[in-house]
Amino acid sequence: MRVLGIESSCDETSAAVVTVDSGRASVEGLVILSQDVHRIFGGVVPELASRAHVQAISGVTAQALADAGLEMNAIDGVAVTAGPGLVGALLVGLMYGKTLAFALERPLVGVNHLEGHLFAPTLEDRDLAPPFVALLVSGGHTMLLDVPAWGTYRLLGATLDDAAGEAFDKVATLLELGYPGGPAIERLAAGGRPRFRFPRPLLQELERPGPRRYAFSFSGLKTAVLRAVRASTDLAADRADLARSFQDAALDVLVEKTAHAVERLGYTTALLGGGVACNRALAARLRERLAGAARVSVASPRLNTDNAAMIAAAGAWHLGRGERSGWDLEPRDDLPIPGLLPLTSGTAA
Amino acid sequence: MRLALDTATDRVSVALDAGGVVRTAEVRGARRHAAALLPLIGRLLGEGRTTLAALDRVILADGPGSFTGLRVGAAVAKALVAARGVTLWTAPSLLARAAGAASSAAPGAVIVAAADALRGELYAAAYRLWPDRVGVVEPPRVWRPDALRRALVAPAVLVAELPDALWAALDRWAGCVVQGDAAAPHAADLLALAARSGALRRVEDPDIWEPEYGRPAEAQARWEQAHGRALPDPAGRSA
Repeated sequence: MRVLGIESSCDETSAAVVTVDSGRASVEGLVILSQDVHRIFGGVVPELASRAHVQAISGVTAQALADAGLEMNAIDGVAVTAGPGLVGALLVGLMYGKTLAFALERPLVGVNHLEGHLFAPTLEDRDLAPPFVALLVSGGHTMLLDVPAWGTYRLLGATLDDAAGEAFDKVATLLELGYPGGPAIERLAAGGRPRFRFPRPLLQELERPGPRRYAFSFSGLKTAVLRAVRASTDLAADRADLARSFQDAALDVLVEKTAHAVERLGYTTALLGGGVACNRALAARLRERLAGAARVSVASPRLNTDNAAMIAAAGAWHLGRGERSGWDLEPRDDLPIPGLLPLTSGTAA
Repeated sequence: MRLALDTATDRVSVALDAGGVVRTAEVRGARRHAAALLPLIGRLLGEGRTTLAALDRVILADGPGSFTGLRVGAAVAKALVAARGVTLWTAPSLLARAAGAASSAAPGAVIVAAADALRGELYAAAYRLWPDRVGVVEPPRVWRPDALRRALVAPAVLVAELPDALWAALDRWAGCVVQGDAAAPHAADLLALAARSGALRRVEDPDIWEPEYGRPAEAQARWEQAHGRALPDPAGRSA
């Protein structure tokens, strides 16, 4: 089965062709265009993102097909990101992909962007299969999931305020590193010392069964960095150490909570997904923490950023089960992950 | 076979010309464009017992108007072009509106078409329509109501759907006024415009084409005002 994926949930316009053969998914063509204009504003401007998607969507899709050496008619189905994300941005890719399927008389499936991140590592890690614990970390989301089977997702915990990627961006702004902040902080932290003592929010909750056991919070950490920046008399000299200290604090919480869930559930696999999973220190620390107990599956940076290959991979799985979306499919900024069992005091305990 | 789409307002309007038989369908209501458009096209294809395999040409009202509505129409039109290899033609949304009211004016009379542009302003354009051609008196742009009234008031026909506050600002309009449902743009009017030279533009490169939004994005406008220069490459991107 050859599936065309379309992704436009934020500031990347992406199209991809993924082929699934005997249950194995592989990328035949993938194009990702990142909209640089948002750097000027220090964050994504939804209207500009939507306009840029309109300009780019046809060319990106044509290039993905050309890279795959395929004509449009060779596609067996179309998968589009239906949410969550910026509605105006989602709308462009969704309408474009939906219309391609309609005009080609091919099946259509709307895909949850976060579920797409769960499928991203399957494009490179052929041994990846549930059960596993997944940590999804991006600029918009931070959540820990128990994945006993594809299509069944149990929420273990999520952020109570800022997403991890949002905290990286905000701290990068405090440190005058520009946008997006994640890569800049990682680079700077590599040469810094962890001499500032920042809190590890909610880490102590791991010892207390309940709904906050696997919850995250980053706003207090960000405020602690703000205070340290204001107290600094030589920010240029302190900048790398502040970045390192912040990154250590954020990653400590992410790594400890993920490892705890893996060990408690008795799983042998952990998955990292989302833009923050591009942070090499995160994967390295989690691998070190789980050494001998579980392996860590993480996609390459190109497949961890927002991309259409992961949407096509997830879509292929749904299409293979006979699932179809109607021609009245609409984007939703709060689209829940399909099959997600919500957090209750019982599930997280 | 020709398919016309107008999504620039709170209506989704579709018209299909199959072998000279024109079928139309419409849904009204803001935020219904995404869900309604393809089912409407499917309904017309079914009524005409035809398929998109017979499609030659897509005609789209390309703005100005609702940013979101315009993007829905643009994405659908681009995908139809990519999937079926058809040509894309556009006309200003205000010209479609003017064409719908052409019977209210003498041939060659000035017709001013207007729509709400929010912030107390309106999108407006002025045309002269003859049975075989269109003349542009004022191309579509944003107007303050008082400036429009001074520039174009008489003896023009005004065809517009506007909120009460904008009608109040135009209350001394001396010409004929067409408003309400009679002033609504319909996709069938886009089909009819094809008979008038100068009405439709062929889009040479649909891959990079975008609608005529009528205004820059708010953030872009603020940035340009603050910096006194154009935003560098608003659609800038890297692979």
